[in-house]
Amino acid sequence: MGEGKKMNQYLTFTVSEEAYALNVLNVREVLEFTQLSKVPRMPEFMRGIINLRGSIVPVIDLKLKFGLGLTEKTIDTSIIVCEMVMDEETIVMGLMTDSVKEVIDLDDDDIEPTPYVGAKIDTAFILGMGKKDDKFLIVLNMEKVLTANELNMVSTAEISGE
Amino acid sequence: MDQFKQVFVEEAEELLGTLEDNLLVLEDSPDDRDLIDAVFRVMHTIKGSAAMFDFKGIVDFTHVVESVLDRVRNGELTVSHELIDLTLKSRDHIQSMIGSPSDVTPEHEATSAVLIGALEKLAGTEKKAPLPSVKKVQNDEDVECYSLYRILFIPDREIFFSGTNLIALLEELQDLGEYSCYAYTSSIPSLAEYNPEMSYIRWEIYLTTKASLNAVKDVFIFVESSCELEISSLVEASELPDCLGEEKRLGEILIGRGLITPEELSDVLSTQKPVGQIMMENGLVSSTDVESALHQQQTERKLREKQGGERENTIRVKSEKLDSLVDSVGELVTAQARLSQISSQYDDPSLNALAELIERLSTELRDNAMGLRMVPIGTTFSRFKRLVRDLSNSLGKEMTLVTRGGETELDKSVIDKLNDPLVHLIRNSIDHGIEAPEIRAEAGKKREGTVSLVADYSGANVIIQIKDDGAGLDRERILAKGREKGLVGPDENLNENEIFKLILQPGFSTAQKITDVSGRGVGMDVVSKEIESLGGSIFITSTVGKGTTISLSLPLTLAIIEGLLVRIGDEKFVIPLASVQACLELGQEDREAHREKRLFPFRGGMVPYIRLRELFLDRRELPDREHLVVTQTENGIFGIVVDEVIGDYQTVIKNLGRLYKNLQLITGATILGDGTMALILDLNKITALAKVESTASL
Amino acid sequence: MKQILIVDDSRTVRDSLKFFLKEGGYDVLEGADGVEALKVLETARPNLIITDVNMPNMDGLTLLENVRKSPDHKFIPVLVLTTESQQSIMEKGKALGATGWIVKPFDSQKVLAVIKKVLGG
Repeated sequence: MGEGKKMNQYLTFTVSEEAYALNVLNVREVLEFTQLSKVPRMPEFMRGIINLRGSIVPVIDLKLKFGLGLTEKTIDTSIIVCEMVMDEETIVMGLMTDSVKEVIDLDDDDIEPTPYVGAKIDTAFILGMGKKDDKFLIVLNMEKVLTANELNMVSTAEISGE
Repeated sequence: MDQFKQVFVEEAEELLGTLEDNLLVLEDSPDDRDLIDAVFRVMHTIKGSAAMFDFKGIVDFTHVVESVLDRVRNGELTVSHELIDLTLKSRDHIQSMIGSPSDVTPEHEATSAVLIGALEKLAGTEKKAPLPSVKKVQNDEDVECYSLYRILFIPDREIFFSGTNLIALLEELQDLGEYSCYAYTSSIPSLAEYNPEMSYIRWEIYLTTKASLNAVKDVFIFVESSCELEISSLVEASELPDCLGEEKRLGEILIGRGLITPEELSDVLSTQKPVGQIMMENGLVSSTDVESALHQQQTERKLREKQGGERENTIRVKSEKLDSLVDSVGELVTAQARLSQISSQYDDPSLNALAELIERLSTELRDNAMGLRMVPIGTTFSRFKRLVRDLSNSLGKEMTLVTRGGETELDKSVIDKLNDPLVHLIRNSIDHGIEAPEIRAEAGKKREGTVSLVADYSGANVIIQIKDDGAGLDRERILAKGREKGLVGPDENLNENEIFKLILQPGFSTAQKITDVSGRGVGMDVVSKEIESLGGSIFITSTVGKGTTISLSLPLTLAIIEGLLVRIGDEKFVIPLASVQACLELGQEDREAHREKRLFPFRGGMVPYIRLRELFLDRRELPDREHLVVTQTENGIFGIVVDEVIGDYQTVIKNLGRLYKNLQLITGATILGDGTMALILDLNKITALAKVESTASL
Repeated sequence: MKQILIVDDSRTVRDSLKFFLKEGGYDVLEGADGVEALKVLETARPNLIITDVNMPNMDGLTLLENVRKSPDHKFIPVLVLTTESQQSIMEKGKALGATGWIVKPFDSQKVLAVIKKVLGG
């Protein structure tokens, strides 16, 4: 393999009929829709927590996060359990998606920088646009899916004084 | 005292363990300042703690090693192979002395002398006078050993007239080690002749202990002249390896005691019944004698197990391994709960029996696993002695630190997180609490101030108190400052605890001048946060001129909580049981009656209630009936309204992780028997938030 | 809370003992000599008496004799304060019904250990 030409594997999935891809290095496993416990006073896109063989994993509804409405439970609804390292701490979370498709190979060259889509939309969580068999994929930047603010989430109403 | 000594021994052994590692590394990197410091500190700490107990042999010896290491620290000596060698030997020697610290043997003294000679020679500080000739250094394999003593104790009839408490005496023996006691009651006369002010019982005691014969004799020091006493060492540590293979048989013990002859023994052995029973039948010995001899047999057996066990089976385990064990056990308990639930649905006896067995085993396993993480807080306490000494020196105050309850056990993870808050609280006590010696003298107090650290159990909690006999907190000044900073409204009335708790607020400091040590405006609020993060709470009492007591109430373990399981809609929550006072029903009519004020009558007063549905911004319709859980929180008594109270629940706490780090109302989650989850509520935060929101909405 | 009566004519000894005992969780009564102690005992029934030997008005051994004669107090443990050199006093005290002794100088730990020995945990 030549310089700058590196092959990576990506997991593809859909949210609101749009195709997305995520580096498999971030993916731990894929679950079917499972029962969620809602945590009170959290933003709506934080759908709740699931019991993953004894560990508690928070689940984020990507559709809600992208402002496209609530993910309805269907036979294809999947939760991608991913992990990332932040401040030397491994964070595990679940991404709720409409469906999970397949694992594909993409060259770094196949991923193009994010096109400008207007100032209104925050594109930090998009690593770039991938192209596979003439179809476009939005490649997610796992580290940026949640903003710093969201990572240090404070309950919606702050507790002041005591 | 014995517990403290045990703590000393444990701490010293731990220190010696790290010392060995450090010395070996130091040999390869002789210029590492940090290592040299660490090595020096170990000697210093051991010397200091040994002095607490007046273990002179250890104190004197460690003092020499310490001063040699001090010279290394100051660059007057370099780290050589020889130095490492000698320090290692000294370390082994100290370890051997710690085996019986209060009772240093002549052999120990001889070894001390040899090592001191060598150390002084190396350091070039040897005395001119020739060293006393001493025996050759013996093998340092003097492992601490148990001995088994048989104690025959016959108090005089009149012993009670000297105010002697036999129970206390027996308890003292019990403190020395493994103890079994046998009371011969045959001398108690008939009721008509019985004088309740007399002592009639003969005692036979088997004591397995590391204590020396003298230490055992010391127990009886006050009663020597008013009793018959016979203390014999049955198995001495030194002879133990020889008899490890074979234990004495009952017959041999009886022969040894001169109760039967070998011939009589072989006669009865030719029949088939159990030996003891036969001998009794044959009138050779009384049933009491047999029982007592059986006692001895059993005790010796135990001693062997213990001796074998403690020698080899103490291992150090990384705490992460324990954590992962506890995690697995938590999952096992959860899985077991599901199994029990499923088995109750099928009427299959063998499945039910299996489920019950698994339940018992997993409970046992859980308790054991939790027990592994419990460590006494004493080692943490003892670290503060140095701190207190240094601080009082630098602040020109005269101080003693008194610690009690060091044997109190807490989960290791709690103890680890407790160090910093305690350091801060002690600093504060010394800096702000204790007055300068002259001021104390003027006030008619002892020049020397005292800070005590006391730990004790209180239900499922441990209370740790930091108590000083200093100036006390000035209520009015704190309140004035609170009002000035806007923390207290002009018309707000606070009780004493509430006023004192103002000092836990960020940036709150009434210290008039800022010292090196504290009063920099950070600290107390951090302490308060850390204690809260451990699920604990802080109470402060103080009297002007007399002193201040800060009490920390902490859960025994972070991993398990006793809770009340409640339901709101489809979600389940856990309320910590420790704060629950009562559960009541809240019907439609109650709701209407109290709608305006959100108060309900409880034990003769009116108590405010909080509907969790509303607090959680859940806008679904209310159910017809609700339940009300009355809870005691930091903010007072509150009713918590839920849809339904399900019942008691003991749960393994799971962390919610980074994403929920700042979520204040919830302290964690737990996994229920059916695999669903429940969130654990932080009542102090919930009631605080409800207070704020109700004020805002008015 | 267990109650202890301290009898000593030296204020220093009384105060330091009192401090140790209070720290150790005991309630403390005081008397400066045997006479005062007997006065205290008229209304109190402490769990333990700690007494010095040489005191004005009534010495510790006489106090001990009186305590052992009193039907209400005869079983109360009595600890005698002595110094290393006073071997004979220990023996004399034992003969008169002393429970034990505390050798001066003492520290908090020593005192509490002896008390524990006599009163139990």
